[in-house]
This record gives sequence, structure tokens and C-alpha cells, in this order.
Amino acid sequence: MKTITFDQIKTSSIALEFDELIPDEIYSWTEADFAKYQVPIGNSRFPITDFFDITVEGEANGPEEVEMILNGDLNRVKYIGCKMSAGNIVCNSSVDLHVGAEMSGGSILVKGNAAAHAGREMSGGYLEIEGNTKEFTGASYIGEWRGMTGGQIVVGGNAGKQCGECLTGGRIHVKGNCDILAGIHMTKGLIEIDGDVNRWPGGQMKNGNIVIHGFLGRLLEGFVLNGIVVDPEVEGTTFKGKYIHYTGDIGLNGKGNLYLGAEANKEKLAEYGELDDEYTSIREYRNL
Amino acid sequence: MEYILKNGIVYDPANEINGEKMDVMFKDGLIVDNVSADAEVLDVTDKIVMPAGVDPHAHVAGPKLVVGRLYRPEDSRRGVTQKTKVLRSESGFSIPSCPATGYRYSRLGYGTVVEAAMPPLEAKHTHEEIATIPQLDIPAMPLFGNNWFVMEYAKDNNIEDIAAFVAAWLKISKGYGIKIVNPCGSEAWGWGMNVHGVNDKAPYFDVTSKEVIVALAKANEMLNLPHSIHIHPNDLGHPGNVPTTIETMDAVKGIKKGKGAAEVRDQVMHLTHLQFHSYLGNSWKDVTSGAEEVAKHFNKADNLTCDIGQVTFDETTTMTADAPMEYDLFKLSGLKWTNKDIECETAAGIIPCIYSKRSPVSTLQWAIGLELFLLIEDPWRVCLTTDHPNAGPFTRYPRIISWLMSNEKRQDMCDNEVHKWVHKRTLLPTLEREYDFYDIATITRAAPAKIYGFTDRGALTPGYRADIAVYDINPNDIDPSKQADEIEKGFNVADYTIKDGQILVKDKEIVKVKESQNIWVNVKGWEQNEQKVIDNIMPFFTQYYSVKWENYPVHDHYVSNPIRVDVDGK
Amino acid sequence: MTYEPPVTDYDYIVENCTCAFCGCNCDDLDYLVKDNHVVAVRHACRLGASKIMEDMDQRLLVPMVRDENGELKEVDWDTALDKAAEYIANSIRPVFYGWSETSTECMKEGVALGEYIGAVLDNQATICHGPSLQAVQNAGYPIQTLGEVQNRADMIVYSGSNAMNSHPRHMARYAVFCRGYFRQRGRFDRTVVTMDPKFSDTAKCSDKWIGFEQNGDYGFYNAIRAVLRGKELYQDVISGIPKEDIYELAEEMKNAEFGVLFFGLGLTHTLSKQRNIDIAIKMVQDLNRYSKWGLTPMRGHFNVNGFNIFMAFECGFAFGVDYCRGYPRYMMGETNTIDLLVRKEPDCFMVIAADPGAHFPNGANQHLANIPVIQIDIHWGPSTELADVVLPGSFIGVECAGTSYRMDGVPIYMKKAIDKPETCRDDEWIVRELKERVMKLREEPNVAPKYVPNPNAL
Repeated sequence: MKTITFDQIKTSSIALEFDELIPDEIYSWTEADFAKYQVPIGNSRFPITDFFDITVEGEANGPEEVEMILNGDLNRVKYIGCKMSAGNIVCNSSVDLHVGAEMSGGSILVKGNAAAHAGREMSGGYLEIEGNTKEFTGASYIGEWRGMTGGQIVVGGNAGKQCGECLTGGRIHVKGNCDILAGIHMTKGLIEIDGDVNRWPGGQMKNGNIVIHGFLGRLLEGFVLNGIVVDPEVEGTTFKGKYIHYTGDIGLNGKGNLYLGAEANKEKLAEYGELDDEYTSIREYRNL
Repeated sequence: MEYILKNGIVYDPANEINGEKMDVMFKDGLIVDNVSADAEVLDVTDKIVMPAGVDPHAHVAGPKLVVGRLYRPEDSRRGVTQKTKVLRSESGFSIPSCPATGYRYSRLGYGTVVEAAMPPLEAKHTHEEIATIPQLDIPAMPLFGNNWFVMEYAKDNNIEDIAAFVAAWLKISKGYGIKIVNPCGSEAWGWGMNVHGVNDKAPYFDVTSKEVIVALAKANEMLNLPHSIHIHPNDLGHPGNVPTTIETMDAVKGIKKGKGAAEVRDQVMHLTHLQFHSYLGNSWKDVTSGAEEVAKHFNKADNLTCDIGQVTFDETTTMTADAPMEYDLFKLSGLKWTNKDIECETAAGIIPCIYSKRSPVSTLQWAIGLELFLLIEDPWRVCLTTDHPNAGPFTRYPRIISWLMSNEKRQDMCDNEVHKWVHKRTLLPTLEREYDFYDIATITRAAPAKIYGFTDRGALTPGYRADIAVYDINPNDIDPSKQADEIEKGFNVADYTIKDGQILVKDKEIVKVKESQNIWVNVKGWEQNEQKVIDNIMPFFTQYYSVKWENYPVHDHYVSNPIRVDVDGK
Repeated sequence: MTYEPPVTDYDYIVENCTCAFCGCNCDDLDYLVKDNHVVAVRHACRLGASKIMEDMDQRLLVPMVRDENGELKEVDWDTALDKAAEYIANSIRPVFYGWSETSTECMKEGVALGEYIGAVLDNQATICHGPSLQAVQNAGYPIQTLGEVQNRADMIVYSGSNAMNSHPRHMARYAVFCRGYFRQRGRFDRTVVTMDPKFSDTAKCSDKWIGFEQNGDYGFYNAIRAVLRGKELYQDVISGIPKEDIYELAEEMKNAEFGVLFFGLGLTHTLSKQRNIDIAIKMVQDLNRYSKWGLTPMRGHFNVNGFNIFMAFECGFAFGVDYCRGYPRYMMGETNTIDLLVRKEPDCFMVIAADPGAHFPNGANQHLANIPVIQIDIHWGPSTELADVVLPGSFIGVECAGTSYRMDGVPIYMKKAIDKPETCRDDEWIVRELKERVMKLREEPNVAPKYVPNPNAL
């Protein structure tokens, strides 16, 4: 096991790009190798040792035996863990854009907030952000219709707009609230949101599942009401309680599932008329 | 500067040189048969020497290319490479950026690439891009098949005015020849419709596709243009389009070549991406290969040439002026769809497309392409293309060469890699023909040059431009039918690419960047007719075009360094 | 508006000039020139005419450099160019912003400089139609030239765009009032619909006004799509529009022979930004199952589309291209001017033919005040107050020739009508000079010693 600790000595106003400093590349590096390495900043490269004190402990035969610990203000350090396939990264502060982008394995723990594009197009591994994150969590590269295909993202706080855009696999769990259009264009996978959602989850979704435990502000017309389900099982997980189940987005002949926590969305239920516990399907109820 | 390429093994079909060990000399940009003792010696012992490649049909510059690049950043991202001391940065896989296009062709040993579709209204744009692509000579083919004026004249069977119109428009758009795409169909697309077959009429214009083809073919020969009409027939990519393809071939029966043109080319019609036009059946459920039927008919007619549009199993971008077909494809794939209609002239469509070995349809298309290559007997009448980027990017040419040269490789793919439709619905597994290096040199160099009537390239004749490619393959030491992968590797990067006597690629690295040149045809002797036609259409133009006449032509500013081909039209 | 008698006192007329104002690029303008000055413009709208005629108003004429006291001082060209080149050569994160009011010939020099030094090149799309481009990248781009609209269209929809005020000749010349080949009666042959929360001037001359609520665009278009798929709407009112109206509208759109949707910043800059356009494009694609539909973004500056087209063929990405690592990168929120400025990353900013001082959010301008700013422009504006080096350019389409691309992608060669002021230079010349001077001052950063092919590209 090898532990590489980055202790910040200086911050930069221009972002440092860490895409070359991933376990796959640096598992065999010694402190001397780091002393030689120049990190890209803007159009130039500067010695990494100007910005970080780097200590290397232990030995590693492969990336999976590497743990990177990043200490200090990482608000201008982008691409942390970008394209990594194994190993473990712990960031003890908020991080900049693209944390865990395109990662295929290993794990990243961010003990702070993350900027936009966290976990973009990841295909495997585990990314946990304890704080909030911004737009495009687990999204696809622009123009690409195949987004995140595997792995898991857990956001402790809130997520920004268009979380899980074009999701094609994997799971995203947001423990806080989500802004508009979570799961837009998604085709597969699961987005679970514990908090509230502002508007329009699942716009133009073809397939996949969105589970919202909190309150939903506004739903799109493209969703067709299916009924109320109790303790639904979604992709192997059973969610306890009553949920309103929709299918959409019909504009695309979509077959995506949207589960709304019935408790938090009582008002929506009220729109459909008085409901008795016996009616498990609103469609049935209407047909009566 | 004088150079001598020493001890190469030369394949030059135009001069009937088949693998002879000999020296090739060039001086001041031209091939010569003698150089002085001061000539610089480039040792190419036992390496293949051929004329530089000529690509007869690719989409490399122009408005639809740029929309493709603009709306597919995910494709641009796939080919990103860093700049070097000589080269600019590159991007793109199926639709590379302009610099990347030039570099990649140059690495393949190509020197001339024909941009296959240029809407005259946006010709300036095409020429701006041509100027941005380095390393190549690029003629561009203006689109005439759905032009309102052409359709009006064709309805009246007014060949003389069509000829004058074409002559004028070649000057205006700085174009090389007549390109026809889905005649009458793209006009029908203006109303969301299409034509099916050559006897369907364009709405309102009351003229059939066949009448447009015949009229343009006659006008082409009347003008003595170096290239024949270049046609993308109706019904592209639809199961059951073989009858349409054959009727299109028959349409030009009996049309005589122009007297000047007869010396430089044999055909009166060039059919492009024939693979997409050889499907039998009624729907995608019962579609089968129509390659045998098409090839049989094609072999019999001696006034036709074609290129194939070979599918290469890649994720690519399809783009064509056949806009209704692209919408049909969009309905199948559901991916993002782009359409671009151009007033009074044409329409274009673009969608991303994934050709997969596991897909039955892709496999069928792949097999049909190879069947056509193997069933068309005369290599002088068929050219190697992928209709870049429609069936695959041009960077896959070496792979296609390896398939053509190795029956073993093909059989292996049929048995183990591709969908089983290849056995059920195509003849490919039964075809054993293999191309040799001489045939490859024919279909990639000599034949396309002849089909386009180029009299300065495509051969190593003294006096021709010194466009030469050297590949690190020793033909005496390799068995192409057994070593398909080595063939592909060898053709992937040229050892030397020489363009106009300048060494652009040396030892597989680009060492020099050269500005591109546009080739265009200037028809002489029709000036008065041209003026008359322009005067006639001017009231229409002023009223219904959204630009002024003065701002319509391609100004000299955009073609700073052209190669002008003067043609005596009378 | 008072009556102005026609101008009769002029030396000569230059015909068929191209307007350098909005994305319509009207190319039928006649300039009346007297004493090397345009005294009147025929055929142009008020916006275009006033821009062309008042070209000397607050004109920047001499290069200026800000001295240590913070005052702009007039200097000679060499001093100004050297100073600007020094700023660029010493920068680590330069941003070259603007380009939309200059020619592609100038952009060519700009991209050469940007690629050499490793800069971010961005244009006004980043603050106007950038979301449209992102949507195009997600959903596609069914577009047609404006002549096609003129000749065929029988249904015109303006969404989030007030063409009457922003593109005054758009309706007259290309879309609504003009007679087309298949629409010989002009306005009478067309149905015009305006979708806008505001009852705009365009809405006033439309047949129908759909005043959906602000930020309700996405929900509204989603409902239309659902109707096109045959779904019955559940809610009675969607985004402020009664469902009966949506049924009626969808039916009307299905029955059009050739419909076109023109959309403006009202659609790109509401709550769901690019997704509004995204779903509008999807709606147009659905409509093509029934009839022929297309759309066109109402581009603002006359060459804002030109820059996107130009960059796409030069490097494969349309705007916000970051060359800092020696290859092009494009990423929303990372390589765009506003994001970079708000993050306080850039250390040198060149603005050419644009006015960030007037258009950028305060946070971005605050950072601009702290870093060297080089301005290439023809008029004094808020950006001049932020600039450290001012290089007076010339007026494309009036004082110098160049290529521009109309909103629908049609290229137009804008010709020169009069001479530029003696002390000014062409934009193209200025950027080329800067490039050459920067090349002398600093070695090209981030150059790979040898070509290493990208495995994805083979």
C-alpha cells in the first residue's frame, strides 16, 4: 500500500490540472519523480512542488494499491481522479471541476463541495461528495448521448441543474435537493433524490428510473400517471413506503419510471381526488 | 530541386508498370525521365512506389461538414491531438477539422481529394474550408440535380441553355463538374416528400428525375467537361432500390461523349457509392444483397464508372445532399438529426451513425460493398471510397485494401466477426477473388484520375505533377492474402508523400505543410450563351434568392491559388 | 419620427453593400458617399443605417496605452502593439474574446495567435446563443436558408424573439411580408405566431400570440410534443396556456405546408436555458413527420455565426475553445469567458469587436478591471474604460472588406465602400502584427516534440 499525501503550500488563481496525477500514472513514482513533475497551469507548466508538499509512504505494484490524500484548498484544482481506473483518492476540502470525470474504477471521497461536472461520463468506481455539487453531476460530454454508464455517485448535499443528464447506467444518489431537469435524456440507471426537486425531472427520458422522496414542484406533461405503488423495487433496491408512479417521457415514447414519495406530494395526490388506501392504482380509481 | 527515388518497386497502372524495380525522378515539381548527377537521392529500396492517391468522392469541406463538426463535439473530441513544431492541433474522427483532414490524407499518401457536393449559394464557404485544409489539391463539385433553373430547362428539354447555365455556374462557384444528388428528391423534400424511382416527378416542377439526369448528361457532353456527370441516384439506402439504380444506369444509354472528353475518359456517367444503391427486397426485414444484379448490369454497360462507399464498421457521421433519406435514417436511429435546406438549389441532412458488426443491416452493407468490388471485373471502372464520412472515415482505406487483398481475412470475418446475415443474404463468402498491388494502385490512383479527366496526376508519366507515395511494404516479401494486418499497417502511413515535388511526409512524419489548391473548370466558347441565360434568369434571381447577384459568385479572394482547367466547349 | 427629406448631396453610390449590424446581413444596401463618408444609406433599417452612417461618432482613431496614472495616453502604433504583445506573451491564461463583428479573415489570424500562445478563444455566443449551440449539439439542427423561408413558408413562429425591434428587416425581407415563389401574396399567404411572455411589437403584427408564463417554455414545448404524440393533456393550464389552445396550435402546426420556428434570446436565457431549445428542436423533428418544419436561431451580431462556423472548421468546436494544453478543448462552464472571469482565472484579456464592459455581469467586469485588457475596436465604449491598450480597428463592410456568415450560414463577402481613417488599421492587420510580435517575444508553449497519434483517432 502506498500513500501519497499532497499538502498545499501555495494556491493558484489559475486552475491546476491534475489529469496526469492519477493512480494509474503515479503508482510507481517516488518523491524525486514528483519533484521533477511539472503540472499544467494555463498555457504553461510549473513544478508541482511549488504548490504541494508531497510525501510518499510505502510501495505499490499497481494503481489499486495507491491512496492519494489531498489537503488544502483545492478550489482551483481540476480533473482530480479524471480517467482513473483504480486506487483511492481522498480530498480534504472542496474541489474544482471534473472530479472523477470518466473514471472507470477506484474511489474518490470529497470532504467538501465539488464544482460542476463531477463524475462526468464515469463508467465505474465510486465517487462520494460530502457537500454540495453544481451542474451536470454524472452527465455526459456535450453532444454525447451516452453519459455515465456505471459506478455510483453519492452527493451528501444538494446537486445542481441537470443532474444525471443522459444517464446510461450506474446510480446517482443525492441526499439533498436537486435543481431542474434531473435525469434529462436518461436512458438507463437510477437517480435517487432524498430531498425536494424544483421542476421537471426526467425531461425527454427514454428509460431508467428516478426516485424522488421529497416534494416535486412541477411535473412535465410528457409523464403518464400509472398509479400508486407500495414498496416499489427499483433496480434491486426496495424503497419503503407509498409512491406515485409515472411513466415518460411520452414525447419520445419513453418508458422511464418516475417514483414520487406520496407523503411529500400529498397535494399532487389531492389533485386526483379523494384517495383511499385501498386504491393502489389511480387509473383503476378513475375507471370506476 | 531535383530528386531521385531509388530502387523502389513501382506500380503505375496508367503506364502499365506492374511492380518493376526502377527509379522515379522529379524536378521542379514535375516527374522527369532524367536528372543531373546533383539530384538528391531518396533511398526507397524494395518499397512500394505509386502515384499519390486520388480520392474521387469524399466530403471534406463545405457547409454541411461544418454543421457536422459544430453539432458533434463528441466526435471532434475523439481525435484530439496536440500541436507539434510543424503541425497544428487536430481534432475529429469521422469529421476531422480542416487541418486534420489535410494531415491525415497526406499520411495516407493521398494528393488529390474531390469534395463531392458544393451548393453554389454557399460555395464561398466551401472554398474557405478548402483554403484551410493543407496538403491537397481539391476540386469541388457543384450540385445541379435539384436546381430550379435546371429543372425548368430539363422540363422543356432545353439542353443548350442547361449547358450554358452549367458553364456559367462552374465559373461562379469555381467548381469542377456536375454533381447530381437524388435528382428531384431533394426538391420534393422542400415539402417533406421524396421521389421514389427515376420516373417520379418533382412536385410543382413536373419533371422526372430521369429527364434531369439525361438533360444534364447531354449538357455535360456538349460542354466537353473533363468529368462526366457524377450521380448519386434516387432511393439511396432503401431496400428494393436495385431497379432504380439500373434504370439510372440505362438512362444515359446512347449518349455520346463530347469530342474533347473522349480522349481523357471513357464514361458518360459516374455512379457514386454504389453500395448504398444495391439492396433487394421490400423492407429491412427481407432485404438482401443486390450486388450481383447491379454488378452484372454494370459490367455490361461500358459507359459507366463507379465508386463503392465501403462500410467500415465505425461510429461515423452520415451527411448527404439526399436530405429525405437522412430523415428516414433519423426515424430509425432516433439520434440527433440535422437538416439544411438551401434555397432553389438543394438540401442536406446529417446524422450520427453507428455501423456495428453485430448489426445485421451494417453487416449486409459491408458485404455488398465488398461484393461489388469483387464482382465488377474491370478495376479501371471502380474506385475505392468510403464516401467519407458516410460509410466510414477515409482513414480506413488501408483496412479496406487489406480486405480486398485477402480472401482469408474476409472469410475469417464472415465466419467469426460479423452477423450471420452475411451467409444468408449475400454472396460474399463464395467470392474468392483477391486484388493485387497493381489493382489497388488502379482503384486508388489511376482509375479515379482517368475518370476525372486529370491529365496531370494519377500516373508517373514524365511531365505530370510529381505526386508520389511510397509505402513501407516489400511486395516480394509479403503475402497479402495471409498478412492482411501487415498490409493495413503498411498502407496506414506512407513512408514518403510527395506533392508537386515537395516532400510532405518523410519517414512517416509530416515534415512540411503546403497550402491547398482548388481545381476548377473554365469552359471557353460559351460566353455569349452564358450571358443570355444569366439575363434570362435575372428577374427570378432578384426576386427569389435571398442574396444579391453581385454577392452570389465566389470572388477571386477565396481562390487565391487555383489550378484552372481550360476546356474548349465548342 | 419626423420627416427627413431624401439626401441628394452625395458624390457617388456604392450598391449592394452588406449591413454590418444584425444576423440578417442584408446585402442590398446602397451607400451614398460624400467626401469619403457615408451620408445616407438606402434600404437599410434604422438600426443598420444609423450604425453605418454614424461611424465617426465616438470613433477610436489613435492607439492608446494606459500609463501609470491610469490615464489612456495616445501613442504610436509600434508602442501600442509592442505593449499589447508583451501582455499576451507574458500571460498564462489569456482569453481572446469577441470576433463577432469582424471578418473571418481576421479570425484566421486570431486562431493562429491563440493556438500559438495557448489562449481561450470565445465569442459573443457565450452570452447569447451559446445555449442554442449546446442544444444543437444535443438534439440536432434542422435549419434552412432564409430564401427557403421566403419562397415556401406558410407558417412562421417567433419564439422568445422580438424580430420587429431586434432584426427589423427580418420579417420584411426574409420571412413574413416578402413575396415568395410559392407564396405570391406575401403576408396573406402566411400565418404568423409569436410565442413570448411579452406582447411585443412582433406579437402585435402576428395572427396569434401565445403568451406563456416566464420560465414556462420547457413545460409548454413538452406539452406540445405530448399532444403531437397523441396524448391527452391532464392539466387544464400548462405554463399559463389553456390546454385547448395547445391542441389548436399543435393542429395548426401539423397542417402547415412549410413551417419555420425562429427563436431568440427569450428562449435561450430563461430557466432551463439550452433545454428550451433542445425540446424546441425535438418538437420540430416531430413535426416533420406531418409536414415540413425547420428552425433558425435569430443571431444577433452580423458575424456571430461566422465565428462559430469558422472555429468549427478550424478546430471542430464552435466557441469557447481552450488551446492552453496545445490542443483544442471545449467544455461548458470551464472554457467559456464568463466562467473564467468569474473564477478570476484569466491574466490577460483581448477583446476584439465586442463590448464586455457593457454586456458582462459585474463579477466578470470586476476581474477585467484587475488584469491587462487589450481592446481592438472602432468605437469608444465601456470596454475602453477597462482597457490598458486600445488599438483602433476599421469598420468591416464599410471601410474594409471581409467575409461574414448570415444567421442561416450563407457566406457573404462584405465589400469596402470608403477608406478608413488614416490612423486606423484593419483588424486583420492588427491581429497579424500582434501574432508576429508575440512569436518574437515568447517561444511556443506546449508543443509536443514529435507527433503522437491519438489512439481514438485511428
